[in-house]
Amino acid sequence: MIAGPLLLLIVPLVMAGVVYILLRWASLSALLSVGTALALGIAVVTLPLDQPVPVYFWGERQIVMGEAVTFLGRELVLGQADRVAMAFLFLTAAGLFFLAWRVAPRSLIFPMGLGLLSLLSGALLIRPLVYSALLVEIAAALSVFALQAEGQPATRGGIRYLTFTTLALPGVLVTHWLLERYVLTPDETGLLNMAAVLLAISFALLLGIVPFHTWVPAVAGDSVPLAGTFVLTVGNGAVWFLLLDFLETYPWLSTHPHFGSLFSTAGLAMVVVGGLLAPAQRRLGPLMGYGALVDSGGALIALGMHSRLGLTLVLLSLVVRPFGLALMATGLSGLRARNGDDDSFDALRGLGWKAPWSTAALIFGGLSVAGLPVSAGFIWRWPLCRALAPSSPGLALLLLLAGGGVMTGVWRGLSALLVRSRPPEGDRFPRVTSEGWLTAAVVAVVILGCVGIGLLPQVLAPLAAHLAETYTFFAP
Amino acid sequence: MPTLIDLLTRLSFLAAMPAVAGILITAGLLVVSRGWRLNVIALTLQYFFVVLLLTRLIQPEVAIVKGLIGWMICIVFYLTERRASALGQSSAVEGTGPSQRWRRWIMSARASFCLLAGILVLVAAYTAALRIPLPEVSTDVTLACYLLAGLGLLLVGLSEAPMQVGLGLLTFLSGFDLFYAALEPSLAVAGLLGAVSFLIALATAQLRVAQVTAGGEGKTL
Repeated sequence: MIAGPLLLLIVPLVMAGVVYILLRWASLSALLSVGTALALGIAVVTLPLDQPVPVYFWGERQIVMGEAVTFLGRELVLGQADRVAMAFLFLTAAGLFFLAWRVAPRSLIFPMGLGLLSLLSGALLIRPLVYSALLVEIAAALSVFALQAEGQPATRGGIRYLTFTTLALPGVLVTHWLLERYVLTPDETGLLNMAAVLLAISFALLLGIVPFHTWVPAVAGDSVPLAGTFVLTVGNGAVWFLLLDFLETYPWLSTHPHFGSLFSTAGLAMVVVGGLLAPAQRRLGPLMGYGALVDSGGALIALGMHSRLGLTLVLLSLVVRPFGLALMATGLSGLRARNGDDDSFDALRGLGWKAPWSTAALIFGGLSVAGLPVSAGFIWRWPLCRALAPSSPGLALLLLLAGGGVMTGVWRGLSALLVRSRPPEGDRFPRVTSEGWLTAAVVAVVILGCVGIGLLPQVLAPLAAHLAETYTFFAP
Repeated sequence: MPTLIDLLTRLSFLAAMPAVAGILITAGLLVVSRGWRLNVIALTLQYFFVVLLLTRLIQPEVAIVKGLIGWMICIVFYLTERRASALGQSSAVEGTGPSQRWRRWIMSARASFCLLAGILVLVAAYTAALRIPLPEVSTDVTLACYLLAGLGLLLVGLSEAPMQVGLGLLTFLSGFDLFYAALEPSLAVAGLLGAVSFLIALATAQLRVAQVTAGGEGKTL
């Protein structure tokens, strides 16, 4: 009998080693990474939690996904909510590996990404939750290797991400001790308040909430773009699910009198800072980071609504965020590769004509991150604005304006990319791009996916609503 | 031949205010100095003093293992900086003329600022140790925790150079570890915290090598 949680921990870790050895064969290592993440993602979704499933190619062995397993004296449990979280992590990673196959071949994102998947799975499955913080911290340290581009100066994004994650660690660990002490002395309610404050600070650091947001644009701007996206989607997604696990495990957190105002204020600060700074950027990388900041801010505002609808929107935002950021990162990678790793607007002038697919990826990704129509990001941002409008019209307006701010930044980038430079003699513009048909096909598939979700929100929305039902802390 | 535990037992008379003073001096050196040799020695000694204090809180065997992890980190930093200086020397012109030689012995404006900031952290840590004592640990250990955490944060805040940030994070974590060991003596937590420290050191070393090979001594993206 093989316990599912153990499978989710060990398989990616083993494959990380294999992929690292095979890294020189770009397509093989990339496709192995995609295959591993995809297979595990599908297995998590499709295999039943409570029934053994025979493994035909492995003797008489059977897999039980829901079986709890003890690892280093701690329990690993795959619950219903964790199941979807796991599927999100693995499938998002598979998508990012698929894009990295074309735009970042032979990069450390493949082995490190698989290693991170193992650690982040452990973080979501391990009980008590205190160990999650340690695993997230180890994952952050490992991600620095993926964020650092070969032959480039040391990434400021990596070191900042590591710094903020390390600073978040003590709060979560001490919270666990405070809560254990509270069980022994229930009269000391001050312990709960202290635990709530420490948790709030720790998650503010982990999620990049203003004023602890400086790592977000740094990760997006000063590292391998798809590795940065991995951190901002898979890593950040794991932190979000961890936050939801905390809210589920300790219901007094969600009933705290300042819960709604705290999340709304934090989200508003992110939306305002991101919305103001995004159009002022002169480089595409930090622009993507500020776009991600606005996106996270919107999700925090949704959680601050303190309702099942808000939770559904949070989960929907997590599911669709990778589309926008991954597309932007793909475009950014393509443009940087053709421009000596310089992504400033001045340096990119006219490059859009030479790299049309990268430009298209950037634009459609930008649309989604800004939450504009005909993009995946629109399907949760618009319902959020509509839900906020009756009670907090100012908040809804600011959210819309912040989306406009991000789009203004993207528009400025597009204007620079599409400047018509002086044509070479004989030919106005190069008719053949250097991007290759395979890269074009991969980008086209993801763009179609992003637009398709934007046009058909009914595909993902029920899934998010169903997932929201697995959490009971906002139940009436 | 005496074992490490025997040695620690013999030095147990230092495991109070002398160790705190040692921590203050070594962490202060990390804040003020930019010389990698001095920094590695200071970090090595800092881990020694932390281990001395840890022996009062947890089993000496566990404290020694934590110390060994710390000293392995120092070896990683030593090897990294050796390589970095070798790479740096091959590209840079030897720049230690007479005028630069004597400047080494005069405190720069940066070092003066760092020293002043370090003194402020010391005052803040001392006040905090008296006003906000940490649970489960004595006043001297509380002071050591605040000093390590405060000076570690100061190191992180003063520079974006990978090595300084790494040293700051490890100093900060040492302070937290000293406190948390008293709260949670679990071996699993001790092991994971050790793994965290070691991975931070490896990540820092990787960034330091990238910084040097990319051609800029202080250049970060």
